Amino acid sequence: MSLAIIGMPGDRPLAPRVTRFTAQFWDALAEGRFLVTRCKACHQKSFPPQAHCKSCLGCDIDWIELGGRGRLYSATRVHAGPARFAAALPYSVGIVDLDDGVRLATRLLGNAGPEHLDQPVQLVVTRYQDGPLFAAELVAPDASIP
Amino acid sequence: MPLLGSADPIAIVGAAATPVGRLAPRRGEPTEQLEHEVLAEVVLRALDDAGIGNRDVGSAVFTLPPANTLQLGFATFMCARLGLRCTGQVAEVVEMGITGGLAFDQAAADVSLGHADFALALGVSFQSAMPAADAMEGSIRVVGDVDFQSPFGLTPISWYAFDAARYLHDTGASREDLAAIAVKSRQHAAHNELAQFGDPLTVDDVLNARPIVEPLGLFDVPAIADGAICLVLARESTARATGKAFVTVRGRGFYHEGFHQVGDVPGDITAFPAARRATDAAMDRAGIQLADLDLAEIYAPCTITEVLVSEALDICPRGQGGAAARDGETAIGGHLPLNTSGGCLARGHPPSLTALYGLLELRQQLLHTAGPRQVNDARLGLHLCELGNYNAALAHVVEGPQ
Ligand SMILES: [Zn+2]
Repeated sequence: MSLAIIGMPGDRPLAPRVTRFTAQFWDALAEGRFLVTRCKACHQKSFPPQAHCKSCLGCDIDWIELGGRGRLYSATRVHAGPARFAAALPYSVGIVDLDDGVRLATRLLGNAGPEHLDQPVQLVVTRYQDGPLFAAELVAPDASIP
Repeated sequence: MPLLGSADPIAIVGAAATPVGRLAPRRGEPTEQLEHEVLAEVVLRALDDAGIGNRDVGSAVFTLPPANTLQLGFATFMCARLGLRCTGQVAEVVEMGITGGLAFDQAAADVSLGHADFALALGVSFQSAMPAADAMEGSIRVVGDVDFQSPFGLTPISWYAFDAARYLHDTGASREDLAAIAVKSRQHAAHNELAQFGDPLTVDDVLNARPIVEPLGLFDVPAIADGAICLVLARESTARATGKAFVTVRGRGFYHEGFHQVGDVPGDITAFPAARRATDAAMDRAGIQLADLDLAEIYAPCTITEVLVSEALDICPRGQGGAAARDGETAIGGHLPLNTSGGCLARGHPPSLTALYGLLELRQQLLHTAGPRQVNDARLGLHLCELGNYNAALAHVVEGPQ
């Protein structure tokens, strides 16, 4: 399933470095697919993706695509941030528990905050001029039914 | 092999520190003092306190100066100025909030192993001249995966905000409960000559302050601060020969859960199991239980942090950490006073030095030299510092003179 792609103004405030390995994640993300790595031996998922399993150190891994649906585990609105994020203040960030059992930290769109914990969220791709990032946005209760 | 908690345990035989606050030259103003000048004065006072000279020191373990410190190679630079000739080690150590505790641990290990008779755990931190927005340019790279978390602008205290939001959501506790920690911290700091903020604060002051990282406001989070501190360590047998009063380390524990900030496996981020494991290990080594402690000095940069640590250690029940502060249970005179120095919020928080200031507070309390903030008959204290979002913790149990 494909994530919604949302256009953002300007460049990413801080651009991730991309390696030969992590390019597989960022290239898929640019097309709306959110990938994590999974160990073929013990099925441990890893995010951020990595070339070996952090549980058994096995190097035989798969890339699997997640649906991007989850719940907001925690959230804050940042009112004092680094200089490069000054134009975005205040901005929201959160911890998202994906339905696939993976936890991640990310930007929250739509001014979500501490009052929205446990509400359903959906990962989206944020397309900046210099490349993609991901973010999460609250899912309206009625929109959660396909 | 003699180690911490052994028959010849580690003693703190001398100490000195500057008040926490603004020491760094302000931009556009004349330079009063630089880092090495301030620290040299502190070391001379600490050696005098221990009754020893520079040639008695065999190890000098410095906290790594912050990134804006121009003088690099700081450890040997300082040793040269102080005339130290070391047989154990000269080093700068660092790992986020545990840095001061790590300097203490390495100095302790050196005297315990016989590499030195006296070892210094010391450091200086000038950060106040740097605007917070510039400092956070660096700190966002410390507290997250630079490629997969930092691009979202996750500041160090945003992790504590995550703790606070989840804690308030899960327990039904309120921002007023968190504010009780800030109010109590100021009350303690009012009697600490080393404190950055000794003025009283009300719950309303805390609640009405501008938001920093919701639900935390200005007085729920630490201010930027400078400091300089030096502790002098020796084996107990060596300390006894100095004829000076000293305190001893009776137990030590450490645990890292294996996460860097928030891991990819869902779980309760407010539970702080590493704090519990490290503390239990230190208390086991010391042969004591929580009820034996007379006070604890814990690394708690934000109001929520002290709440969560006090609950993780079973000092108070889940959801009651703020209420325990408000009711005086964790205040001086209460059941188990926490952060009698005023802690990070009021004594002040130069992050790399905070653990050393915490150990200094235990020493003062256990030597019964804490003045108006003295905990009556204090004999056993716990020190706890952390890194990450308490993903790792380092605990020491310290005992006063027999
Ligand atoms: Zn595996």
